[in-house]
Amino acid sequence: MLVLTRRANQSIVIGADIVVTVLEVRGDQVRIGIEAPRSVSVHREEVFRELEAANRAAASPASGALEGLAALRPPQERRSR
Amino acid sequence: MTATDELPELHFTSGLPGFPDARRFVLVRIGDELSPFSVLRSLDGGSDVEFVVTHPGLFFPDYAPEIDDDTAERLELRSADDALLLVIVTVTDPVAASTANLLGPIVVNRHTRAAAQAVLGASGYNTREALVPSPTG
Repeated sequence: MLVLTRRANQSIVIGADIVVTVLEVRGDQVRIGIEAPRSVSVHREEVFRELEAANRAAASPASGALEGLAALRPPQERRSR
Repeated sequence: MTATDELPELHFTSGLPGFPDARRFVLVRIGDELSPFSVLRSLDGGSDVEFVVTHPGLFFPDYAPEIDDDTAERLELRSADDALLLVIVTVTDPVAASTANLLGPIVVNRHTRAAAQAVLGASGYNTREALVPSPTG
């Protein structure tokens, strides 16, 4: 991992068009501003990892598992039948 | 109800977390026309992946995620009406225990069919919300 020391209001440029700026340092918290092209998605790592794991768990269910699914209806809809 | 059949091809310009190369998907309904579920199937060779999705409003009438500006901008959403919201379902055995990912809803621009999985930061939503309350009677 590349390690750089920066102060508040100093930035790091990644590639040609991503700029990461340290906005504020307060105790053990750091506020960071990120400028990146629209095509680059930026997320907090822990949330992104959680979504990755959830997507992998949900991906490509066995076709047998889908058979009963079509009969599963929202609760309120079932109640009215 | 939104006819997902009318959306032949969706473009996830950034892929999905865990599946960055799966960009083009089709939505195919599972079962009859009353079925609340569809399959979101990747069209990209090599990433032979599919997800079961549903309309969150059917199962979670109170679900009102706030889509971040970044996602809205990337999908060029101008109003809430431009967006079709879907959630990914983790199908379990038995199916009645299946869960939905409310933390990362799929947002589709109805007009351009650009799509993305939004990430709802501090929303309180989770990735494994039971679709149907556990049977109590």
